[in-house]
Amino acid sequence: MEPTKVQNRIRAKRVHSGMVGGHSVADEITDVIIGLILLGVAFICVIPLWHVLMASLSDGRALLAHDGALLLPVGKLNFEGYKLVFKDSAILKGYGNTLLYVVCATSIGMCINIVGGYVLSRKTAFRPFMIIMLMFTMMFNGGLIPTYNVIRALGFVGTRWSLIIPGCTMAIFVIMLMNAFQSVPESTLESAAIDGAGHFRIMLQVALPQTGGITVVVLLNTVIIQWNAWFNASIYVTNKRDLWPLQLWIRQIVADNANILQGASPDYDRLLIQYAVIMAATIPILVAFPFFQKKLEAGVITGGVKG
Amino acid sequence: MKNRAHSLLKTDFRRNWVLYAMFLPVAAYFLVFYYAPMVGVSIAFQKFNMRRGIFGSDWVGFDNFATLFSGDTFPLVMRNTSVIALLNLTVGFVVPIILAIVFSELRDSAKAYKRTVQTISYMPFFVAAVVTTSLVKEFLGASGGLTKILSFFGLEQQNWLANPKPPVFWIIMCATEIWQGMGYGAIVYVAAIASINGDLFEAAAIDGANRWKRLWRITLPSITPLIIMMLTLKAGTVLMTGFDKALLLYMPKTYDVSDVLYTYTYRMAFSAQADYGLSAASGLFQSAINTTLLLASNYISRKVAKTSLF
Repeated sequence: MEPTKVQNRIRAKRVHSGMVGGHSVADEITDVIIGLILLGVAFICVIPLWHVLMASLSDGRALLAHDGALLLPVGKLNFEGYKLVFKDSAILKGYGNTLLYVVCATSIGMCINIVGGYVLSRKTAFRPFMIIMLMFTMMFNGGLIPTYNVIRALGFVGTRWSLIIPGCTMAIFVIMLMNAFQSVPESTLESAAIDGAGHFRIMLQVALPQTGGITVVVLLNTVIIQWNAWFNASIYVTNKRDLWPLQLWIRQIVADNANILQGASPDYDRLLIQYAVIMAATIPILVAFPFFQKKLEAGVITGGVKG
Repeated sequence: MKNRAHSLLKTDFRRNWVLYAMFLPVAAYFLVFYYAPMVGVSIAFQKFNMRRGIFGSDWVGFDNFATLFSGDTFPLVMRNTSVIALLNLTVGFVVPIILAIVFSELRDSAKAYKRTVQTISYMPFFVAAVVTTSLVKEFLGASGGLTKILSFFGLEQQNWLANPKPPVFWIIMCATEIWQGMGYGAIVYVAAIASINGDLFEAAAIDGANRWKRLWRITLPSITPLIIMMLTLKAGTVLMTGFDKALLLYMPKTYDVSDVLYTYTYRMAFSAQADYGLSAASGLFQSAINTTLLLASNYISRKVAKTSLF
């Protein structure tokens, strides 16, 4: 009997991993080396954040005296850094600001992405023109000062709007949703239209649920971009510390610490706060990560295949 | 003829006016935040005065560009920008491919291990730029973990970020980019390698090709089109990504090696020595290079890999 396709594939995979023809010693050694290389890669990826986590739990004085990366906390286990973070009203405010900016910018951005993507996926006379209008912004931009001037002219500088509206989306996201909407079978949309559904109903209740992964990928990307954003805040709300997102506080605390520690009697707990705040800003993303990694991976792969 | 086109448009508009109305806010967003700044680019050709605005300032032609190109810092800025971009485009581009190959060479029985390491390897991609650069400062500072390892190999113990000698800052930038991007960049290659027809490997193995030969004769040729496509894509965007980290990592002491177009434009805009016209000129220059690179790489991609972004 002819081997089935599946059997073929299984056999081929065995060959691929050097299992056919017995385990030669050289193959065994190669397998071990490959395993070790990957262990090294994992180590390199983890150790920086692990070090910060361990430092945040260390004793400040011992930490300052310590050289090199930490695998375990030095000195007595100590939660002082985290206590300081959660007592520091400025940092808490920064945390709140970040959450606010993420929620608002993502909501507004997704509205633009979905509506724009839907309209561009419909056959209209001006469709090519509208697509070119978006595409062009991917090719050329006005640059720092001209953009700043526009934001200033709108009266956004020094307000929360400067951190919510200008960076909430970009053309590529609208285009991605356009592709997603185009992949929805035309017949389902037509039958909804015949049933009397308007464009908003069709868009939100019929088409959007069928866009599947891409909408989620765009949403996740927007959230991550917003959570990590710092540059716009550093130029638009430079002196309004009330409005700073968490990332700007990290930058500030790390910079301050470099100076504080030069002093004669450094405040050791101050040293811990920078590690604690880095963890506080990074842990939410890392904890959420396993839940969305499959989606993101799929998004990267289709993006790479489609170009 | 003209009349027919006219009536076609009229029908289209009657049928689709709701869609056009829906698109208005979207169009407004891009007009205000992307197209208005393009008009504002005109200040690159002005002696810009904040109070008089872009419509009241004096026109000076290409003076700002002349100042930019003839300045002492410009050659250094161009050198640093190109070197860092080239490093990212070569070393930074190859590492994810190698990593993907290593992943796919792992034997099938170690599937869970592969999955775990792969997940860990692209976690750094989601770490914020501010945090990443803080980690770099932590590890390469005078008593940092990496500094200690380097001193073990005979290099002087120092704050590496303050080292103004040529390759140091460039290597730091490239290494940071690799740390953040290798796992994420590998995903697409891992998927491509996994989709290669297994029969090919089997046939090759029966013919006596060892692992190394199979890698060069089957795996690499199979993903070459993807590699070319990713390379052209990366070449088009190489000057747009990652340079905010230079802004977070550089310091006056290392300007000679760390100042790039992005940071120069920034400093000319927001610092004591601000010169808006000059900053706008340098920003426009940067945009122009970006656009050229993007269009060129897009053209090559369409010719060679038969796919393109635009």
